[in-house]
Amino acid sequence: MKFMLIVHHDEEAFSKIEKEKRQQLLAESIELTHQLHAAGQYLSASPLQPAATAVMVRVREGKPLVTDGPFIETREQIAGYFLVDAKDLKEAVRIATRVPGAHIGTVEVRPLIEITGLPNE
Amino acid sequence: MKYLCLVYVEEKILHAMPQSERVVLSNESMAYCDGLQKQGQLIAASPLHPVETATTVRVRDGKTSTTDGPFAETKEQLGGYLLIDVRDLNDAVRIASKFPAAQFGSIEVRPLKELGCA
Repeated sequence: MKFMLIVHHDEEAFSKIEKEKRQQLLAESIELTHQLHAAGQYLSASPLQPAATAVMVRVREGKPLVTDGPFIETREQIAGYFLVDAKDLKEAVRIATRVPGAHIGTVEVRPLIEITGLPNE
Repeated sequence: MKYLCLVYVEEKILHAMPQSERVVLSNESMAYCDGLQKQGQLIAASPLHPVETATTVRVRDGKTSTTDGPFAETKEQLGGYLLIDVRDLNDAVRIASKFPAAQFGSIEVRPLKELGCA
């Protein structure tokens, strides 16, 4: 089963962490992707630019409406994601606990609807 | 540049649609993704199961806590994503605006950090 792990953290708190510690968190996240890859559980992962860079797009009656994002104003913001292949939800949650972001923020685990015909592979 | 397009739709609206309409929407979405990939602009895309299947995970002092449900309760819910590779934000917005769900939902377009997050 495929899962999206959506990593949320408090951008302001994160920006106040010492640069060295932030670099260590990044190194740990990259190391995790390699461990997942070796275990056949890795699909994709990336950090995102700060929520202030988000743009919202809606189309109503054929007219595009473009506004500043993000969609949800929350204390913690979406900081990045991991796409993983796990046996079940339990395994996906176990992976989520290894994401450094789960230790300073929150990881939402969502199963993908696996459909055929998408141009993914 | 790479962008993550987060597609938010009101699940209630989707559930209220007749099955035939949902199939048309799904087919249109897949055909659109297919076209993007042929132009080398799509990296990945997928719908997600409804938010009630979400689990939220936090680890503090080595202790894991999990709660059922999404990170945030909202009127529209995260229903899927497109990961695209395009020239700039203008192209990303154009692509998002042509995705079928943009007509009744909201799409958040977020640039990826391609040079690390520290």
